[in-house]
Amino acid sequence: MVDALTRSMRASHVLVAILVAASLAVAAFGVATNDTFYLRLATEALIFAGLALSVDILLGYTGLLSLGQALYFGLGAYLSALVLMVIPSFWAAFAATAVVAALAGLIGGFIVNRVRGVYFALITFGMAQVAAKIVYNTRALGASDGLIGVPVININLGIASVSSASPAGFFLFVLALIVILYALSAYLLDTPFGRLLIALRANEARIPFLGYRTMTPRLVAYVLAAMVAALSGALYPMLRGFVSPELFFFATSGNAVITVVTGGAGTLVGALYGSVLLTVLKSVIGSYTEHHLIVIGLLFMGAVIFLPKGLMGSVRPLIERMLAREPKQ
Amino acid sequence: MTQKRTAILAALLSATALSGAYAADPIKIGVVTPLSGTYAGIGQQVKWGLELATKEVNAAGGIMGRQVELTFEDEEANPSVAVQKADKLFQVGKVDFLTGTVNSGSTLAVGQVAERAGKLIATTVSFADSITADKCSPNVFRVNARAGQQSSALAVWLSKEKPKAQVFYLGPDYEMGRSTVAAFKSSAEKVGANSTGEVFAPLDSKDYTQYFGQLRAAKPQVLYTSVAGNDTVRLFTQLQEFGLLNNLTVVGASGTVTAQNLGAIGKAAEGFVTGVGYSAEIDTPENKKFVAAFKAANKSDPDLYGADSYGLIYAYKAAVEKAKATDTDKVRAAFKDLKWMTPQGEKTLRGGDHQAVQTMYVVKVTGGKFTIVGQVKGEDAIGPDTCTRF
Amino acid sequence: MSEAIQYFQFVLAPQMLIGLVLGVAVILVALGLTIIFGLLDVINMSHGEFYALGAFIAFALSSVGLPFWLLLILVPLVMLPVGYLVERGLIQRVFHSGDRHVRTLLLTFGLGLLLEDAFRLVFGPNPHRPETPITGGVEAFGIFVPSYRLFLIVVGAAIIAAVAFVVYRTRLGAMVRAAAFDRDMAASLGVPVQHVYAGAFAFGVALAGLAGVLLAPIYSIFPTMGRDFILMAFTVVIVGGMGSIAGAVVAGLLLTQIQAIVSLYISPVWSDPIVFGIMVVMLMVRPQGLFGRLGHG
Repeated sequence: MVDALTRSMRASHVLVAILVAASLAVAAFGVATNDTFYLRLATEALIFAGLALSVDILLGYTGLLSLGQALYFGLGAYLSALVLMVIPSFWAAFAATAVVAALAGLIGGFIVNRVRGVYFALITFGMAQVAAKIVYNTRALGASDGLIGVPVININLGIASVSSASPAGFFLFVLALIVILYALSAYLLDTPFGRLLIALRANEARIPFLGYRTMTPRLVAYVLAAMVAALSGALYPMLRGFVSPELFFFATSGNAVITVVTGGAGTLVGALYGSVLLTVLKSVIGSYTEHHLIVIGLLFMGAVIFLPKGLMGSVRPLIERMLAREPKQ
Repeated sequence: MTQKRTAILAALLSATALSGAYAADPIKIGVVTPLSGTYAGIGQQVKWGLELATKEVNAAGGIMGRQVELTFEDEEANPSVAVQKADKLFQVGKVDFLTGTVNSGSTLAVGQVAERAGKLIATTVSFADSITADKCSPNVFRVNARAGQQSSALAVWLSKEKPKAQVFYLGPDYEMGRSTVAAFKSSAEKVGANSTGEVFAPLDSKDYTQYFGQLRAAKPQVLYTSVAGNDTVRLFTQLQEFGLLNNLTVVGASGTVTAQNLGAIGKAAEGFVTGVGYSAEIDTPENKKFVAAFKAANKSDPDLYGADSYGLIYAYKAAVEKAKATDTDKVRAAFKDLKWMTPQGEKTLRGGDHQAVQTMYVVKVTGGKFTIVGQVKGEDAIGPDTCTRF
Repeated sequence: MSEAIQYFQFVLAPQMLIGLVLGVAVILVALGLTIIFGLLDVINMSHGEFYALGAFIAFALSSVGLPFWLLLILVPLVMLPVGYLVERGLIQRVFHSGDRHVRTLLLTFGLGLLLEDAFRLVFGPNPHRPETPITGGVEAFGIFVPSYRLFLIVVGAAIIAAVAFVVYRTRLGAMVRAAAFDRDMAASLGVPVQHVYAGAFAFGVALAGLAGVLLAPIYSIFPTMGRDFILMAFTVVIVGGMGSIAGAVVAGLLLTQIQAIVSLYISPVWSDPIVFGIMVVMLMVRPQGLFGRLGHG
């Protein structure tokens, strides 16, 4: 039983596999040339890809645009930084972030899921703005200066350990983690639960007549997105050794939205490609002109007008056709 | 663009000045500064100051015969971007030295990147005392005056001109604003001033008039404020609008009124007094030469950010020539208690906390221009070394 | 008793008066936003940048010697075609897609980024301030009010009244309300819906520009000024009811009064979170806002 959704998700998986292969090649090249900057930049791109992924879970599957996903990203980053400064253990930081993000997502979800459409966008925006202000004014959290001095950690993986200071090692670790987050989200959204979400998006009024509740699946999707964003954020201080309130700011949320829309909303893989594309673009344009916002703004408007499905939304059907041609065993 | 221009200039100079002599590799200085966003105006001064000094140094034969090359990156006033760009300049640009950060969050975060990369950085702008105090780093230097130096200088002036003054404080409500107010309050109270009240307004406040009731009720003779940039323009405009500037002396932090916003504030800035590490009015041949060259190059007066950034290049030149190398450890050792000349006179980099010690000036806005009304010797304004890390 | 009167006279009343000025300013910005949303269903994320555009155009024109009073008329007239073109050239391109809310929001978000950077490119990063056109002030009952602020309250009220008159009492306004209520029905009754939409967008943008001219002498001009009012304006529009002019006025006055009075008792830093909190609560209990939508009831 293969329906259209499963087929297109398979195409997404193929695209992720291509990205992973390319990443492995980049890592190998980076190790060979003794590079640290590009590997760290790529790691950062992956971390922000995780944030974009969480925006896409909401936008692509529930049709709700979050303009405040940085709230959970920043929460994860600060929590991880605070834990690491006391207990320099990856698993402690990761577990704490997962638990707190789930709770915060639940509370946030109850608030925001009472509204739809643009109201949802504005309420998420407002919530993130309030959180940013609170962090910015709280001395215990370093206030406007943020927190520096997050230690380099060794991540114990049972059979081996990876240092967060090792450019290639930490890159591969983050790659693995983001792919796992992708796979988990993709799996969940391919189950009947995911289909229910899509049905909700298509026609909310009919769902109760089919015997489903409308509130619960939305809440689950929102908590999932919150956790994905927070867990990605938790990786940030490991990479850079500090956190600052700017991680909560609208610029962070806005960038994630730009990433998803140019990458292709509703494809999940678009978030990953979009983040890589945007990071490369910003890094290149930024070296030539300080007016990079004009370029980014134009490209983004162009994507909204001419490429409504985003890059991956346009590429994926090609892969689907190729997959369809292959004989089924 | 600019880096290309500098590179071409360097190439031309090495082709002519050194004429045939071997052209050594240039010394690379990375600049991570806000060229966009809220602090773009400060970043512009930083850029102008560094470019002017580099041009002069290169024309005079460079540092140890090596040309200096600047590479600019925009940090968007965001520490996360600053860290990424600093990493790029250290790892890919292979810069020998880095400067340019403006907000203290960026300076602290980039300082940590420098420690991990084994390189040195200097800030020419950040005021926060913590950078060369409790959060000091062996790899971070500051060539500009910190908040404590500025408020000591201002307090000295206050005790002379307005003995036992009634002072009211209005600061922006974030870490920097609160610490500047606290610093000036303690300096002022030490010299006999009475505090009549304080209020903190959110950063980027639209309207300060809502605090005027408290201000009026406190009946102060002096208002101290540490708001900056666009916020200052609004505060002063509104003070003037409400007729509060009559019989009130407004004093403030050195970033409160600068060449960038003085034009916009206009007449409302008249009479404003601040303690600052630099003024374009300093009457020395070195400074006059600097101001003339700066104006010719940028069609704008230098402010403290431009002058301190300009001075940094000469500090680095002196240190490298003393160390006869650009290695981190050797340059760090050479920076220790280094004395060098800047447009505002001789500065000393205190070895114990990497803070520049310099003569502080008290300046007053008169006729739309800063005039110097007092001076405080460097050692009287600096305060104790509280850095314990090195 | 006399203490209470004194408190009212010297603390509360001036604070409320200041809140009133801010309220008028916020309403001026929010009016255009609410008209655009009410009619086109478009969240104009670049509205703050159009407010800034008005201020910058005024700044450019006054530097060639045009007087402030002329600019008050000229700038909105210049902004009208700008808004019309943006609606026809950009908004309409994504207007008919399935996800109008999200895509128009994204498009105007991109436009806002672009405009803000363009201001910096053209006018530089530093602030500018036009001279206050009316100086001096009025003192009554021990309360001092600058004349320009009184002027602002009067002119602001006049503009708000004029807009309400046009929308609720004229044939043009009837067409607008009809188009907002049922686009297809209005079209079949001969309302030139396309032009009404573009016209309403242009009108909203021109109002933002006019607010820019009026507020620049108090709040000064700089590239990122568009971010200033936009949060508050969105809040006002939501609380008042998307598209409702009366709602924007009531919510604008109410919220700024709350902000002004609250900041007497707790640190003003928290006045923004409190206003957001009100917005969140409003969205939860009465998402249609105080007055409901334009054209509906």
